[in-house]
Amino acid sequence: MGTIVEARGLHKHFGTIRAVDGLDLQVGAGEIYGLLGPNGSGKTTLIRLLIGLLRPTSGIASILGQEMPNKAILSQVGYMTQGSALYEDLTVRENVVFFARMCERIRPARVDEVIALIELQDRARSLVRTLSGGMRQRVSLACALVHHPRLLLLDEPTVGVDPQLRFTFWEYFRRLAGEGVTLIISSHVMDEAERCDRLGFIRQGKLLAEGNAAELRAQAGAASLEEAFLRFAGGAATGGKR
Amino acid sequence: MNARRVWILGRRIIQQIVRDRRMIALLVFIPILVLTLGALLFRAKPAAIPLGVVNEDQGQSLPSGIKISLGAYVTQELGRSGTFAVTPLSREEVDARLRDGTVQGVLIIPESFSADLHQKQQATLPLRLEGSNPTRSMQIAARVSEAAMKALAGLVTSLGMGTPGAPPVPLGAGKLPVAIEPSFLYGGAKFDTMDYIAPVYVAFLVMFFVFVLTCVSFLRERSLGTMERLLATPANRLEIVLGYMMGLGLFALIQATVIISFTVWILKIHYLGSLVLLFLVVVVLAVVAVSTGILASTFARNEFQVVQFIPLLIVPQGLLSGTFWAVEEMPAYLRPFAYAMPLTYANRALRDVMLKGWGLTQIWPNLLILLGFAVSIIALGALVMRREVA
Repeated sequence: MGTIVEARGLHKHFGTIRAVDGLDLQVGAGEIYGLLGPNGSGKTTLIRLLIGLLRPTSGIASILGQEMPNKAILSQVGYMTQGSALYEDLTVRENVVFFARMCERIRPARVDEVIALIELQDRARSLVRTLSGGMRQRVSLACALVHHPRLLLLDEPTVGVDPQLRFTFWEYFRRLAGEGVTLIISSHVMDEAERCDRLGFIRQGKLLAEGNAAELRAQAGAASLEEAFLRFAGGAATGGKR
Repeated sequence: MNARRVWILGRRIIQQIVRDRRMIALLVFIPILVLTLGALLFRAKPAAIPLGVVNEDQGQSLPSGIKISLGAYVTQELGRSGTFAVTPLSREEVDARLRDGTVQGVLIIPESFSADLHQKQQATLPLRLEGSNPTRSMQIAARVSEAAMKALAGLVTSLGMGTPGAPPVPLGAGKLPVAIEPSFLYGGAKFDTMDYIAPVYVAFLVMFFVFVLTCVSFLRERSLGTMERLLATPANRLEIVLGYMMGLGLFALIQATVIISFTVWILKIHYLGSLVLLFLVVVVLAVVAVSTGILASTFARNEFQVVQFIPLLIVPQGLLSGTFWAVEEMPAYLRPFAYAMPLTYANRALRDVMLKGWGLTQIWPNLLILLGFAVSIIALGALVMRREVA
């Protein structure tokens, strides 16, 4: 199992704020890695560092052995931002086609395939402006994976998605992982975390603990992941826990 | 109606605006800037008009034995008036000097000038004008006429002209002693002020709309998060900027087509040069406008702040780029600002093509400068984008 994503001694400071504060990470092929932490803990900054949208203050982030930022490697990466980032006055299909073509030549059949996956065939020709929040989230996902990426970075992909579709999403994530695609998924919803192969608890820019759900629970001596997280956070926090 | 709610809402607006420091600064600064520019332009003491004089006057011997040369006298007086910066020229250089802009008009004093005045109390002075700006042409003709008249007034007495014995008749007492006879290198009498303004309308409108369109679409791209998404694809900044240029450039072209067709066929504007060249200038200007828009929008957090850039970046360009006041007529301390503005060069190129019928071989320096602006603004924009993301 090769390493797909790696971070070594990663720091990102904004003025006096240490958004990412000395972080090491290794994620292998076909793994679903969950980044778990409260809002403002540095999850989004970490993802943006990994994909090369930010330059680290110090340390190294690399994807597929290439140090980031690296534009060329991005054709093999899919990215879903927090909140849907779509062109409101284009249709669903046009959005998917646009992001696909930014990466490579794409077969029209592939576009239909991902639109079917997000179950929006009947809205394919609707303007994104007319869609609900959950539908937009689905279109964002379609845009992130249309070009067959080897790595998917998903920043809170299931926000605003109803439980049934969330289930479908996770089924699909699992299937992708089975095909060897690596997924890094950030979330602050603990029940989702159970489905990840490995979890990283992140708080104040630091990785507090790492492991699968069962390991983390056992390590903290906690009944639930939520409780485990609070235990780890309590131990690491310098200024009292939330 | 609940007065309390009105009060609370009003207070919220005030709070928000007060928090936007730049807004406050602009509310105060922009009107002062625009008023100052206007006052400077309207009140400025006009720069001396560069005037060439071809003096071929052979002079005239008076009965008293004195030989007078009124041509030399008029030349000297024109220079002394302060209105003109006089350059002596030969007849052969006239059109060349008008064409390269080193003089705006040439007064030709014919061989028989002194003799005509002496014998007929009447002489004609041909005035060759550049002619592309009708208002300016009329102004120069009037000034030359005025100055020549002033120079000749009262000459009679001092030089003892007129018939010996008879009481001296001051020149200009009965009829005008000199008639200015204008001719034009470009345009001419059939050109009016609209002909002069139309080319820069094209430039200003294209610049304005492309700028606003770019600002708004770029800002929307950033506020909706699609810019972030786009930067996470293999597309690099240069590709994004060029893509914008292609997309918005098309609309600049459509707009230019509408404006040019309307001015040429409906408003019956005279134009001499090639239409293709006109479009070329517009395309280059659109490129500058797109890059300016991208640069400006990286400094704006919302649409509101984009609007603030219009009086800051667009209005001064409209005032200073030679739209209404030719750059050459501006006071010397304003000219450097005019030369720092892309629109100045676009205006110049468009006027050269439309009014003078110039070709690429003559307008290329302006196009090159415009491209230089575009490249440096794009570079600056990419630098600012880099600071912002990655």
